[in-house]
Amino acid sequence: MSTIAATHVGQSHGHGHEEATGWKKYLWSLDHKIIGIQYLFTSLAFLLLGGALALLLRWQLAFPSTQVMTNGDVGNPIALPFINPQFYNALFTMHATVMVFLVVMPLLIGAFGNYLIPLKIGAGDMAFPLINELSYWFFVASGFVMLAGFFVAGGAAAGGWTAYAPLSSVAAYNGTKMGQTLWAAGIFVNGLASIMGAFNYITTIVNMRAPGLGFFRLPLTVWALFITAFLLLLAVPVLSAAGAMLILDLNFGTSFFNPAQGGQPLLWQHLFWFFGHPEVYIMILPAMGMASDVLSIFSRKPVFGYKAMVFAMIAIGFLGFIVWGHHMFVSGMNLVLSAAFGVSTMVIAVPSAIKTFNWLGTLWGGSIHFTTAMLNALAFVAMFVIGGFSGIFMASTPVNIFVHHTYFIVAHFHYVLFGGSIFAIFASIYTWYPKMFGRMLDETLGKIHFALTFVFFNLCFFPMHNVGLGGMMRRIADPTAYEHLRSLQPINQFITFAAIGLGFSQLLFFWNFFRSLKYGKPAGKNPWHATTLEWTVDSPPGHGNFATTPKVYRGAYDYSVPGHPRDYIMQTEPDYPDASVPKSSPAKVPVG
Amino acid sequence: MPLPFRRFTGVVLMSFLALLSPAHAEVRQTSVWWLPRNVNMFGHEIDFIFYLILWLTGVTAVAVFSVMIYFLVKYRARPGVPAIHSHGNNTLEVIWTTIPVFIFLALAIYGNEQWTQMRLRTPPADALPVAVVGEQFGWNVRYPGPDGKLAKMVASKVGKDNPFGVDPADPDGMDDFTTYNDIVFPLNRPVRLYLGSKDVIHAFYVPEFRLYQDMVPGRVYDFVWLKAEATGNFQLACNQLCGQGHYKMFGKLAVVEESAYQDWAKSKATAPTASVDKSNPVPVSLVKK
Repeated sequence: MSTIAATHVGQSHGHGHEEATGWKKYLWSLDHKIIGIQYLFTSLAFLLLGGALALLLRWQLAFPSTQVMTNGDVGNPIALPFINPQFYNALFTMHATVMVFLVVMPLLIGAFGNYLIPLKIGAGDMAFPLINELSYWFFVASGFVMLAGFFVAGGAAAGGWTAYAPLSSVAAYNGTKMGQTLWAAGIFVNGLASIMGAFNYITTIVNMRAPGLGFFRLPLTVWALFITAFLLLLAVPVLSAAGAMLILDLNFGTSFFNPAQGGQPLLWQHLFWFFGHPEVYIMILPAMGMASDVLSIFSRKPVFGYKAMVFAMIAIGFLGFIVWGHHMFVSGMNLVLSAAFGVSTMVIAVPSAIKTFNWLGTLWGGSIHFTTAMLNALAFVAMFVIGGFSGIFMASTPVNIFVHHTYFIVAHFHYVLFGGSIFAIFASIYTWYPKMFGRMLDETLGKIHFALTFVFFNLCFFPMHNVGLGGMMRRIADPTAYEHLRSLQPINQFITFAAIGLGFSQLLFFWNFFRSLKYGKPAGKNPWHATTLEWTVDSPPGHGNFATTPKVYRGAYDYSVPGHPRDYIMQTEPDYPDASVPKSSPAKVPVG
Repeated sequence: MPLPFRRFTGVVLMSFLALLSPAHAEVRQTSVWWLPRNVNMFGHEIDFIFYLILWLTGVTAVAVFSVMIYFLVKYRARPGVPAIHSHGNNTLEVIWTTIPVFIFLALAIYGNEQWTQMRLRTPPADALPVAVVGEQFGWNVRYPGPDGKLAKMVASKVGKDNPFGVDPADPDGMDDFTTYNDIVFPLNRPVRLYLGSKDVIHAFYVPEFRLYQDMVPGRVYDFVWLKAEATGNFQLACNQLCGQGHYKMFGKLAVVEESAYQDWAKSKATAPTASVDKSNPVPVSLVKK
């Protein structure tokens, strides 16, 4: 294990660095667990911010400050007057940017990737601990650079998170030269953080697995993060390059994207979506992996079709790189190209379908414990199904040209990103919080939070399908400016109220999260009676994770093996039956 | 006149006036949760595929959720009932891989076939050519005069002072007339659009036409055509974020009888093309009768 780090630094305990103490621990610790927790706290803070931006923009959509009232007054009486159209554009641009680059990616990959990979493969730390910590600070810096846009002349970037050129690349068109430059610089720095994390993960998983832990004994969480790391490594540099080109166009007189000076606007779209579509899978694959593990733990069953799950994720990884053109069907694409992208896009739905069927297979014949973690994982599956189905409408080129850029697509990607990724993140937090902090989250509060989130989520995002089909465009600051959209306005207001409910429900989660740090029930080593390596060590695990390098004897999912006294067999347990297995009563999951 | 009768006539007259009021796009009072009506020849195929996918996904979704709920109830943890130890079933994997492959491939091929046909179907010779060029934040529109021919648009010439990128000496363009944020299509006559942009990317979007087309600057899109099958007043919206004023970049779009279109074109053609008043576009009073 850890041969790379150990030989370079020459440390004796095998993961290459001493334990940091006191305040240094949280500022400059090289321990992957501390870095994971740093990522967790930082991106949860960004989640609050991104949510606040969303509520502001929802308020504007329900009660536009620009609305002309029947008496001729401009401005709805309960509108927020500081939301002018340009600020509205900045709101949705930064909401998406924050959620994609500062919340979903760092939560899934930064927080859980860092925390779980070494623990789940039996390693003492990541292969490159220093680069790991650098990656975190680059991520923090990128956040501050992006958000600094709100405080410069012209305001934050307002060209959408897709930043289509030449609106984004010509200052005269966007009026936010400084904000857009900071946005691009933030994307660039954020990309560096991702790249550092990605090769670290790949090196760690390839080189530092515990003896006996072959690739096909890895938990799906590790597989998912492994595949995601490759996607990051291949896709993110393209976006970074595009961001650099955007900065040059905006500030230094180049013209990569402006046709008025010989540039090509579609170049930006190709670069952006070459990154952007793998990015979609970067934001869902780790969620799929972790949700699979949660479903297995709380169904007390092995993951159904483990290898099919792995190959489905690999297939998604490959296909993810050849579907980007479906974002550009409406750009006037060559027919051969649109045919190719249309077919590849439909084909990529197949591995997602396979995964869904296998999740159902995992539930089949299980002994399902409805813990908060499990409820969130089940919601993940259900919402992902809806998000997947609405994607099929977009994949069909003729229908795409009708629903493109309407609220239908806003509904679609929120079902995948919130309904999918965020529910999976909640499931993962409930599952691994006890390991991270040594205490349990409160299950009652958790279930109330889950119920409110699930109901408000659907009330908020499902009607967006309808207003989208009704013809409402995304990214318009005032739907009441359009005669044909005015009759949809009550639905918009309904969505806004649901969004407010959804937003405030999250306060319960934060209350539970911080309260349980101190008052939660002590967790013990293995509160869920799970099989993988992280559950063999203390909660929270000490520096260096494992006192001795664990030996692995089996795959990650030996639940309910007939004849065994417990309904789970740890991966470190030598061949069953084994005399060293302590006699214990049949396992029962403690809560739920 | 007795009072109730007078009231009745009043209501009838008022509703008549409301129907005639030409400057307003259709405001739907019913079925606001669903698709607006379709008035474009091409919309039928799009709606057909939409409903096909809706049925396919709807039925599958109901099936998946039913199975899921059934499993959740049936296999809830009960004391003394252990879970079944199963790592999967390869036959099932093959089945539920193969079936989606065929369904998705069929959908992709069928959808693409429709798309190709729609794109390759050439507009008939009598199609009315109309050029629409977006700018921050409005629509330049150019119609042919009596000769029925538009001046040739050259993408590289589209610019500040030449929104349509035409050669001023082009004989086809001498009788062309232009409008701003004001489009009229004749009923049942094919219209061939020439779409372009002066500055950033805009998009031509009219939900009732089931039509969306990006207008990337530096290109002229000449493959979009349509045939309106019903009269009415609609709104043309820009559906590609184009800056501060994006949310109010819309234009009037009316579909009228051929004769009303001819009258309108005549009235427009006599007005001098050069002096289009952008700040206050002349309202069109069009709908016949």
